[in-house]
Amino acid sequence: MVTLGIGKSPRNSAVLPFYGAGTIFFLGLTILMFIAADSFKEHFFQPHTLALVHTAALGWGTMIIFGAAYQLMPVIFEEELYSSRLAFLSFWFLLIGAITLIASFWFFQVGFFMITGGCLILIAVILYNLNVFKTAVKSALNIQKIFLIVSAFWLFITVIIGVLLAINLYYPYIPSNHLEILKLHAHIGFAGWFLQLITGVSSKLVPMFLFGKSNNVKLLKVAFVFQNIGLLGFLIDDFFIGASDRVYIYYILVLMGILFWMAFLVDVYKKRLKKKVDIQMRHTFISMVSLLIALILIPVVLMVSGNQWSVLYGTFIFLGWISAIIFGKTFKTLPFIIWNMHYKDVHGRKNIPLPKDLYFEKLLFYQFWSFLAAFIILILGILLQQIIIIKFGLLIWIVVALLYVFNVAKVFFHKKTI
Amino acid sequence: MELQINDPFFQEKNKAMDGLYSVLDPELMVNIMDLGLVYDIDFASEGKIIITMTLTTPGCPMGDAISLGVKNVLNEDFPDREVDIDIVWDPQWTVEKVSAAGREQLGF
Repeated sequence: MVTLGIGKSPRNSAVLPFYGAGTIFFLGLTILMFIAADSFKEHFFQPHTLALVHTAALGWGTMIIFGAAYQLMPVIFEEELYSSRLAFLSFWFLLIGAITLIASFWFFQVGFFMITGGCLILIAVILYNLNVFKTAVKSALNIQKIFLIVSAFWLFITVIIGVLLAINLYYPYIPSNHLEILKLHAHIGFAGWFLQLITGVSSKLVPMFLFGKSNNVKLLKVAFVFQNIGLLGFLIDDFFIGASDRVYIYYILVLMGILFWMAFLVDVYKKRLKKKVDIQMRHTFISMVSLLIALILIPVVLMVSGNQWSVLYGTFIFLGWISAIIFGKTFKTLPFIIWNMHYKDVHGRKNIPLPKDLYFEKLLFYQFWSFLAAFIILILGILLQQIIIIKFGLLIWIVVALLYVFNVAKVFFHKKTI
Repeated sequence: MELQINDPFFQEKNKAMDGLYSVLDPELMVNIMDLGLVYDIDFASEGKIIITMTLTTPGCPMGDAISLGVKNVLNEDFPDREVDIDIVWDPQWTVEKVSAAGREQLGF
């Protein structure tokens, strides 16, 4: 049998633990948010807020994205994953590191636990980078691959700075303002890691899911240049010269990079053959709208005083943009992974279920609407600075998480029927 | 893929095609014949069936499952023949290869 070009999936151990842990982290995040509801009214540099942000960024976002990336690397690179074993190893480092770091922020234990947590995450990221580079070198470069490789590099830089900041909290040695460096750390994470990873993966997957092909790959190349020049300019200028109004130039450059990427997705959407847009793709739409609103909020955060703007910005990034894309993509990937595990060998026989039969589609529909309700109510609460509304929104977030956990668990614990 | 009435292996190919209509692309939920993924079924080599086919995209994560599905179906219908699958990328699969029935199922 000629197998060239057939997607050889990585071992399940390289993917499933990330999905499982990420799902639990998301439930944990919603519970912690409810407990620490007051954080949504305060300045972001608070122990509970730092714990929530790192639960969202590492336990939820990065955890699921690592699993999805290991699964999708063979699709994007058209090569087998370099090492499933390294991927599995990175899971343990990320898991233990994230738990340690989040706990150290929550109880604000600077020093050993915080630094150890950061170092464990750094090891996980180095292992991830190794897998990305070793898989990538086997095949020719294209723009999606470049996005994936560069995003891994930016993740590495984000975590390095994070560890240095953790050390600085215990043993202050950084001459600049801690919050300024924290700003760099956060924005390399957003615009380097999450943005470029999502840009690369979505520009490969969205055309596949919608049956739409854009020949305008130049848009992605321009997006790559703008996103990276904007980010690099911001980092170098802010670090070596200091905060200034030039930040708006870098903001516009990154914004242009995002708009070029979105123009590519719009082109794909217009040229799509599959007219019906499923619930998973609707999540992607909400995700993109959230990102755009977060971007609009940046000048507001910079110009208008009040904690609510930066909290709102973070909410749109983590709970809107990143969470919505994960909600949608989970049920575009996980059921297929589990289906492959159970039914690949008996495919073609009668009466075997399809991947879509492995989860409750109706529940995904309820999850979508409760997510919208939770998101809008929380935003209203933050805007109005009303703790009752914030708590009500956060309570619905727990419902969203429970629906999501239940559906993911249904896929995970599916019993083979043939 | 079209089957000619004067094909020396008409009956065998017809039976094979019937079987392959039951192999679905698990993601698209449309069978591989209507998707136009099967380019050729060759019975000319003794004791063998050579299937020349493609996938909707290189690196397709369901590729392994689809080719195993083809093998399973043909092994059941032709237990005395070995099934050989040749995955090709030229000609590349395009949506124009999807049959009218397939288009309807995909909601085009």
